[in-house]
Amino acid sequence: MKNPSLTAKLTFGQRIGVFVKKSPARMAFIIAVFLYLVTIAINPAAFNASAIGSIIMLTLLLSFASAGQTIVLIGGGMDFGVGAVMSSAAILTTTIMNAQDGHFFQLLITALAMGALVGLLNGICSVKIGLPPMIVTMAIANVVTRMQYVLTEGSPMGYAGPQFIKSVTSRLFGVQFLPSIILYAFIIIPLVYFLLNRSRFGKQVYLVGNNPVAAKLSGINVAKVQVLTYVFSGLFAAFAGMLGAAYMNAARCQIFDNYAYESLIAVIIGGTLLSGGVGTYTGSIAGSLVMVVLSNMLTVIGLTQPQRNLFMGVILILLLILYNREKNVRQ
Amino acid sequence: MTKIKSTLQRFRRSPAFAGFILFVVAFILNAALQGPSAFFTVRTFNTLFAKNVPFILVTIGQALLLMSGTMDISCGVQVALVNVVVIMSGQRMGLPFLVCCLLGIVAAMLASVVCWVCCSIFRLPALLASYALTFAIKGINVMIMDVPQGKVEKVFYKAYDSQIFGFIPVSALALVLVLLIWLYVKRTKFGSHIYAVGANPRNAFAAGISPSGVQLKAFLLKGLFTGIAGVCITLMIASGNPLQAEDYGIRSLSACILGGLGFGGWGSVACGVFGAGFYVLIQNSVYYFFSLLVKLIPGFAVSSYWQNFVTDIIIFLGLLMTIVTAKGQREALKQGIVRQFKREPYKAEAKEGNGGEGK
Repeated sequence: MKNPSLTAKLTFGQRIGVFVKKSPARMAFIIAVFLYLVTIAINPAAFNASAIGSIIMLTLLLSFASAGQTIVLIGGGMDFGVGAVMSSAAILTTTIMNAQDGHFFQLLITALAMGALVGLLNGICSVKIGLPPMIVTMAIANVVTRMQYVLTEGSPMGYAGPQFIKSVTSRLFGVQFLPSIILYAFIIIPLVYFLLNRSRFGKQVYLVGNNPVAAKLSGINVAKVQVLTYVFSGLFAAFAGMLGAAYMNAARCQIFDNYAYESLIAVIIGGTLLSGGVGTYTGSIAGSLVMVVLSNMLTVIGLTQPQRNLFMGVILILLLILYNREKNVRQ
Repeated sequence: MTKIKSTLQRFRRSPAFAGFILFVVAFILNAALQGPSAFFTVRTFNTLFAKNVPFILVTIGQALLLMSGTMDISCGVQVALVNVVVIMSGQRMGLPFLVCCLLGIVAAMLASVVCWVCCSIFRLPALLASYALTFAIKGINVMIMDVPQGKVEKVFYKAYDSQIFGFIPVSALALVLVLLIWLYVKRTKFGSHIYAVGANPRNAFAAGISPSGVQLKAFLLKGLFTGIAGVCITLMIASGNPLQAEDYGIRSLSACILGGLGFGGWGSVACGVFGAGFYVLIQNSVYYFFSLLVKLIPGFAVSSYWQNFVTDIIIFLGLLMTIVTAKGQREALKQGIVRQFKREPYKAEAKEGNGGEGK
């Protein structure tokens, strides 16, 4: 957009096209706001502080889960293990804490170790062994899910610790639309930004995703970087699962399994490409917001469950059509 | 003798070899665990076919799509859609059962065309588009039929569960029918176009093939196969259930990979059949393995969770195994490409698609 004469020649429609292509993150924010306005227009009662608070809560939860997914996608992979790792971390949370305070660090280490282990397995199988990432992460996720059932006999015990629950769900300064999960966001979001934009690892991830051969020729250990992206994905998913357990209070098997797809779609809506090398975490946060606002809207306008499913599918396809099309063959 | 040897050599290099090895291992395992005298009976085979033909058919459809470079994880809910349409059109409109089946198959083909529109016309990533469609079709299923209900006339489901000449399961006929359709299609021009489009749509387009046209045909065929699978599942459960078979979509995908298929331009439908067979037989063997353990060790009792856990671990290991077994064919594929390069260096680009056939 540096050339003003070029911009002037574009029609309004083309300019929108350029805007959408250049900044999918802003576009996703606009879509989210638009969807929320539609919700309010249909049902004005939906506009209240506590509803906004829960939207922020769920958005942050999903954006933590999709942080790892973003890194993996930029590095040219795909991780369907996010959901299973989150569910396992949630079960670990309720089992270890058992409705008591003071087990936080024990839990943190166990959950993160579990996440890193699953991530490492994902990474080794999809990068070193060379299986299609989508299939192998799904197979590993299946094994992890079955492990939940085997270890808990199908019904996990316990609850999250009261202090921990409070640190996630209570409202800051008594203001309804400020859930205290925001405090965690102050740690996670800068961490992801640092990882992706300011660290050497982040630069390597972009390069590897964009062109693995070029990355290899310039002296980057491609396999190591890609395996690390999966490990980070496991870590972020495990942390998100802990917070999710605090939000839900109790856990059951497969509680967060749909987050595997939801995080993927949130990341894609945020402008990260499936082919790798392009994407931002801002986009993923915006995409998470779209997903949460969309499901909130479908709940608020009082559709039945099948109608909700139908609308969800159609709107998702429309969103994908809007700006996530692959290149035409005829070029 | 040399002829047999060369046939064996050719088979060893064919894409289906990896899946075939896994399938044979699972077959022997199942026979050994169940006891050969109990396994090699008409009844066992009848049950195996009757219960698993829908899944195998869906996998064949999925294999077809993978070969042409796309996929559809909504085929599980499409099977449920067929089931719902067949039952409800019989119940509401009182149509004869065979007409209902036709309607069901048409519904599956329509759903497949919608998926094609999303993937090829709107050029969305197939994985995401078909995931979104899963929601939409599931919604439609429940709108048509809110709770499991309905029944099929006894004549039909009895026929599905019976054998011809006392030893050929009727359910296996559906599989044979689909394979015959595929054998015919494979010999047409479309059969080789699938590989060209799957390997590289741009090159295929440059060679005068319409990628979206080929993919439309692939989706229509897959819709037909899914429709037949849906009719089979209706006959199997003899009633309607809007929320079933949803996991077929993802399971069929991993069965294809187990059978040695890759993403695009490589493999054959046999890969899908062997992969699905492995999947089914391993589940069966794990069941018999655990019942054997219960018999051998007094006081041994575990929940069914353990069975699923072991099954999934074996499937994961099977995925890892495909790398070892498929290596030989990948080498053959590479050599084939090199040979094409050497023979006609200036046509190397266009020949690459042919190399993908693995012939």
